Amino acid sequence: MSTLTERAASTTQPRAATPRDAGRRRRRRLGTIGHRALVALLLVYLLAPFVWMLVYSLYPSSALQQASPDLNPGLLTGASYARLLSDSSFLVPMVNSAIVGISTTIVCMVLGSACAYAFARYRFRGRNALLLGMLTVQAIPVIVLAVPLFILLRAFGLYDRLPGLIVTYTAFILPLVIWMLVGFFDEIPPSLERAARIDGCNRLQIMIKIAFPLAAPGLAATAILAFITSWSDFFLAKVLTSTAATTLPVKTAAFQGLFAMDYTSAATAGVITAVPVLLLALLAQKWIIRGLVEGAVKG
Amino acid sequence: MSTTRADQRRRRDLRFGLGLSLPAVAVVVLLLGYPMGYALYMSGFSWNDKLGSSHPFVGLANYSELLGDPAVHRALGRTLYFSAFTVLGGVALAVLIAVLLNTEFRGRTLVRVLLLVPWAVPPVVNGIMWKLIFDGSSGIVNTILLGTGLIDTRVQWLADPGLTMNVLIFAEMWKLLPFLCLLMLAGLQGIPTNIYKAARIDGADGWQRFRKITLPNMRGPIMFALIVQSMWSLKVFDTIYVLTGGSGGPAEGTTTINFLAYLVTFSNLDRGYGASLAIATMVLVILVTLLWILLLGQRGNDRGDAR
Repeated sequence: MSTLTERAASTTQPRAATPRDAGRRRRRRLGTIGHRALVALLLVYLLAPFVWMLVYSLYPSSALQQASPDLNPGLLTGASYARLLSDSSFLVPMVNSAIVGISTTIVCMVLGSACAYAFARYRFRGRNALLLGMLTVQAIPVIVLAVPLFILLRAFGLYDRLPGLIVTYTAFILPLVIWMLVGFFDEIPPSLERAARIDGCNRLQIMIKIAFPLAAPGLAATAILAFITSWSDFFLAKVLTSTAATTLPVKTAAFQGLFAMDYTSAATAGVITAVPVLLLALLAQKWIIRGLVEGAVKG
Repeated sequence: MSTTRADQRRRRDLRFGLGLSLPAVAVVVLLLGYPMGYALYMSGFSWNDKLGSSHPFVGLANYSELLGDPAVHRALGRTLYFSAFTVLGGVALAVLIAVLLNTEFRGRTLVRVLLLVPWAVPPVVNGIMWKLIFDGSSGIVNTILLGTGLIDTRVQWLADPGLTMNVLIFAEMWKLLPFLCLLMLAGLQGIPTNIYKAARIDGADGWQRFRKITLPNMRGPIMFALIVQSMWSLKVFDTIYVLTGGSGGPAEGTTTINFLAYLVTFSNLDRGYGASLAIATMVLVILVTLLWILLLGQRGNDRGDAR
C-alpha cells in the first residue's frame, strides 16, 4: 500500500530531483521489492502442497523418501496412474462420482433456477424468510442427518445406490444453488422483461427466452459449483454407500489407513480426484468468484 | 377497472412464482426436515445398537448427560482451540493478504485466479496432501528440517496429540484462506479510493488509514467471513478423518465436538447419545452465528446502501 502512496506523491509533484527524492525512490523500490517477495511467497504457499502431491504421484516412493529426494526426470513414471486407471475398484467409484455429480447438477439447476427466478422477480411474502432459511441450511452439521438419512434410504431401497446419493446431494446443494442464483437474477434489469411482456410473451417464455440467456454465465458458474460440491463430498457418500455406489473421495480416503499408507497410490488418487474440479474452477473462475463473493459482500 | 386488472395480474404473477419455487422448496423442506425431526426424536431415547434392540424413552437425559460428560468438555475445548485459530486467525490473515493483493502489479489477476486452487481441492485430497507433507517417517517437512540441521531426529507430527491438532489447523487454513481472501478483496474494492486520497492529504499514515478507513468499511464482509468460517470450523470433519485415519487421534487429540458425535454414533453405535451430540453441535453453530451478529451487526445498517 505504501508503494502506491509514494508513487502517487512523486507523479503529482514533478520537480527537480533532490537528495530527498532519491531517498524516497530508493524506499519505494525497496517497498516494491518487499511486496513482490511477499506475493511470490504467497504463490509458493498456494501451489507447493499440490505440486508436491503431483510429484509424489509421478515418482517411485523410494526416490522421494530419502535424506535428499531424488527428482531426476529419468525416474518419472506414470505407472501409478496406469495401475489405478485400469483397476475396476478405482474406475467404478470414478464413474459413480461423475454420474452422481452430473445428475445432481442437472436436478439442482432445473429446480433451483426456476425457484431462484421466482424469488428474484416475484416479491411474495416470506421471500426473505425463505432466502434466510436457505442460508441456515449451512449451519446444519451433516452428521445430524446422517443416521436418519441412512434409515430413510434403506427403507426406500436406495442405500448404496446412486439415486439415493443424488437425492441426498440435491437436498443439500439446492439451497446453495438458489442462494447464488437469486444474486445473479437480481442483477438483470427487469426492463427487458417488461418489454418482452408488452410484445406478448407469457411469463414462462420471458423466463426461458429472456432471463435465462442473460444470466447464462451465472447459471454456468452455479452449475459448476454444484458439481464441485457434489464431487467433493466425502461424509455422506461414506455413510450412505458401501461398495456398489461408493464414490471417488471415499475410495481415495481409503488409500490412507490408520497404520499403513500406500503413498504413491494415495497421491495419484488425490490428483485424479482434484484435477476435474480444479479445471472446472479455473475455467469459470471469474463467475465463480463473483457468485461466491459479491452476494456475500452485498448481503 | 385498471386496478382490478393490475390486481389480477399481480395474483397471476404470484401464482406463477409460487408454482416455480414450490418444487425446490418442497424438496429441501422434506428431505432435510424429516431427517432433522428424526434426529431430534432419536436424541430423546437411550438407543444403543450394541446393547440390543430395546430403546427406552429418556426425555432430555442424553442432553443432561452430555453437559456433564468430560469427553464432551475435552472435545469442546479442542473445538474452541481449532476455531479460534481458523476463524480469528484466518480472517485476520485474509485481511492482510487482501491488502497485499489490492495494489496494482503485474500478474495480479493470475494470483487471484490461483487463489481458487486450494478452494477447489476436495477436503479428502487436502488431508492426503498434508499427510504426505507431515508424515513422521517420510514427510518432506522432516526431510527439509533434517537437511537444514534444524532438528536431529524426525518429529512425529501426526503421533503427538498437540502437534497433530496444529498440523490440522495448518492444513485447514490452507484450504479456507483463499475464500476469505476473495471475500476481503471484494470488500476492499468496494471502498472508494478518494477517501484514501483525502486522508493522505490530511496527513494520515498507512496504519491510520488502515484502522480508520479500511477496517470500518470492511465491517460487512468481515462479519460475513466470521459467520461463515465459524460455521465451517465448528463442523470440520473430512480433513480430521483423512489426517488421522478416521480415529480423531492420536489419543483423541483431534476429536472435535462434531467428530465426537461421529465416533459415538458410528463406532460406539450409540444412536441416541450421538444424535444429541450432533444437535448440540448444531445449536453451538447457531449460537456462535447469533453471537457474531450481536457483536458486530448493530451498526451494520448505516452503510448497507454503500454497495
